Amino acid sequence: MTGTPVLAARDVSMVFGGLTALSEVNLTLDEGQILGLIGPNGAGKTTFFNCLTGLYTPTRGTVTLRGTRLPSDPAAVTVAGVARTFQNIRLFPSMTALENVVVGRHSRMKQGPLASLFHGPAYRRGEQAARDRSLELLEFVGLGRVHDELSRNLPYGDQRRLEIARALATDPSVLLLDEPTAGMNPQETEATRQLIFAIRETGVAVVVIEHDTKFIFSLCDHVSVLVQGKLLVEGTPDVVRGDPRVIEAYLGKPPDEVEAEVRHYADETADHTQVIELDGGSEGDKR
Amino acid sequence: MNIPPGWAWLGQALLIIAGIILVIWLCRLGERRGTAYLADRPAYLRPLALLGGVLALLSALLPWVTFELNDGVYPELSTLQFFDEPWGVTGFRGFILLLGLASIVLAFVPIPAKRRVYRAIGLALFGITLFNTGFIIYYGGGIGAATAADGVVAFGGLVGLVAAAVVWFAHRSGPLEQVPLWNSKVSRAVAYPVLLLAFIALLLVVAMLLRAGTTADGDSRAYAGPIFLSLLFFISGVILALNGLGFTKWLTDVSDKHRLWSVVVLLGCSIALPFTEAGTDYWMTIAVNIGVYAATAIGLNIVVGLAGLLDLGYIAFLGIGAYVAANFSEASAAAFGIKLPFLAAAIVAAVVAGVFGAIVGSPTLRVRGDYLAIVTLAFGEIFRKAAQNDIGGLTGGANAIPDIPPISAFGQSFSAPLEIGGVKLPSGVLYYILVVVLVAVVMLVFANLKDSRIGRAWIAIREDEDAARAMGIKTGQAKILAFLIGATLAGLAGAVFAHKTSTVAYDSFQFIESVTLLAAVILGGMASIPGAVLGSALLIVLPEKLRDFQDLRLFLFGLALVLIMRFRPQGLIPDRHRRAELADEGVVEAPSQEHNVADSTPGGGAAVTR
Repeated sequence: MTGTPVLAARDVSMVFGGLTALSEVNLTLDEGQILGLIGPNGAGKTTFFNCLTGLYTPTRGTVTLRGTRLPSDPAAVTVAGVARTFQNIRLFPSMTALENVVVGRHSRMKQGPLASLFHGPAYRRGEQAARDRSLELLEFVGLGRVHDELSRNLPYGDQRRLEIARALATDPSVLLLDEPTAGMNPQETEATRQLIFAIRETGVAVVVIEHDTKFIFSLCDHVSVLVQGKLLVEGTPDVVRGDPRVIEAYLGKPPDEVEAEVRHYADETADHTQVIELDGGSEGDKR
Repeated sequence: MNIPPGWAWLGQALLIIAGIILVIWLCRLGERRGTAYLADRPAYLRPLALLGGVLALLSALLPWVTFELNDGVYPELSTLQFFDEPWGVTGFRGFILLLGLASIVLAFVPIPAKRRVYRAIGLALFGITLFNTGFIIYYGGGIGAATAADGVVAFGGLVGLVAAAVVWFAHRSGPLEQVPLWNSKVSRAVAYPVLLLAFIALLLVVAMLLRAGTTADGDSRAYAGPIFLSLLFFISGVILALNGLGFTKWLTDVSDKHRLWSVVVLLGCSIALPFTEAGTDYWMTIAVNIGVYAATAIGLNIVVGLAGLLDLGYIAFLGIGAYVAANFSEASAAAFGIKLPFLAAAIVAAVVAGVFGAIVGSPTLRVRGDYLAIVTLAFGEIFRKAAQNDIGGLTGGANAIPDIPPISAFGQSFSAPLEIGGVKLPSGVLYYILVVVLVAVVMLVFANLKDSRIGRAWIAIREDEDAARAMGIKTGQAKILAFLIGATLAGLAGAVFAHKTSTVAYDSFQFIESVTLLAAVILGGMASIPGAVLGSALLIVLPEKLRDFQDLRLFLFGLALVLIMRFRPQGLIPDRHRRAELADEGVVEAPSQEHNVADSTPGGGAAVTR
């Protein structure tokens, strides 16, 4: 799929002390694209996300949204139109689902301190509009019926979807999803896939970090593979899937090598396993 | 063995405390094993309730004290009265009698949430008997005062304690029921009179509590402490029972639906307080203090309750407001010769305090949590020291700013007594009305802000600052705004404080005052307006009423705070959200947030499959 780039990262590097977490990563997100970012644990995916959203200031390199350089302040980045979800769900636990999403409308509301204080007609119109839009978004992600529940009491999958609704409430042009299906069962994963397609339909470009390669390859138009802070391969899912370097670096080593490694590991930990079994037995006796 | 007298009561007090801990521990032990004592034996409920009720009646009729205590006859005919006047029991014995009767009658009446009601009755009985027995032993100089001495026996207290324990165990005959939900959609014809009656009842209860333990002239009488506490325990028990029956929930829902009427009635009732039995000079002064504290506590609630920023130097803003108002009051020690009208002075005081609030708030951009608390604590101390040293000649230093003239309007001084149409009102009544208005304004500011864009931003920052920033909230601005508005409200309260106390001295603004304010907020319930008012009222009235206990006063006060926090961590009147967050009963456990991500390290997963 071709189009004008919405989000572009140029040579982004991030160094923590002596540790290079990212080195010269390039990424281009086109209008209406779903881009997958994969890589083994510790490859720097979340660090890269944090650079995109202004939580970290990249040591070198720039991030631009439609040609404008993004500031290194998360609030300003959100206002500019880049919204995100978090790897570990970070909702506002003691707010209801609806209130969570209304908080997402914060930067799109005109209400100043005086209107907040005096609750005039403009305040009421603004609140109503924010509420309506939020309810609409909750319906969109399939949470309309639980809008009055405290977000901490929602089931896990609903919490993930609520986080997406909250991010969408900021009217983003780019949505960054950090492991949206972590810990989900196949049905929930499929529902999330459909939700991301639906989000794309509304004209929002999406970047997804995920471990589940099957999910990524069936979802994304374009996949980038990050290994040890470097961009290893990028291209369409088919290209990436077929690349031997990806198979080695991310999907694992060829079967015989894995076999050998596993045997080695099993020998090494044999005694340890024994102990665990004994423990388990005594635990059972107690009950 | 000859024990010094000072140590005798200490030993006895320790003995009693050990006993309480033992009972609590036994109850908890049963719970921990998954089988609460007598759990799931509903058949035990009625016999235990009956037994407890009869014992309570007996305890109300038995004598409680074996000899006359130092301060005269113990109240309510409790000395050496054995069935002398069975129906003449009043005061704390009257409460025990009522609770006993309730326990017996309710055993046969089908009501919902019965165990919750028995828990309330048991707790009230326990509180009343424990305190009176404890006080008799403490004052009488030994266990003999409440048991047997010189051939005289008085087992009322001990029988009462047993009765309380039996009723308490009656409620443990099974798990607590859900609080019943009543339909709160009622017509105005029902809602308006019910709300009116409820608020009038509240007013009368408040007046009764304030006057408990005083003579007709309003002077404190002997044994004021136990009299007040007995009434407090009785009323708490009744409220707890109504709470268990779902009545208070229904009432708050109804008043939520008819908000305007509730506000009008509440305002009317507050202004009617001087016309009740609490309408004395002394209680007007106390009520004004409560009001000033409550207004300040609500301001602090914006910073602590909504935005979640711990401020340990908040009293400084009250001080700044007070000093500004004092300097513009034409007091002889004032730095400026100008006298502003009170309203103007109050606004200037609020603005100056607000500016300082913003200054103190600015470090919040850099520090979080404990570090912020230390910064604010340091600010509070800087302010106090600066005031003590008369920096800039604005505070009068150690001499303070005395003789601040009272506010006057239309030729009527606010501190003089007032007479309207032949009804003589106590002096200070105008201050009281001014404070009611102040608290109402502060409440309105708090409630409106809480339910707005900025209020949601504050709560979001409290819950998760990083997520709040990711939602486009400029957290720095929002935090400074919280400090600014909180300080403004405190400054406003400070202006009233200066005129009411007529002297503004640096030692009114010590660290302990900041802590007390914070305690009021936490005790009442974070982010809750009625909570902050109740918390302030308790923190001011309790020490006043506990004067009887002398050395033990602060100890009892601290113990009460610890107990409240142990059994009601969400505060006495929690905010809707916080209630859900911290309530330990009837809340479905939230699903675990930690889900195991499939292990992707090569080898780790494979070893298991082999």
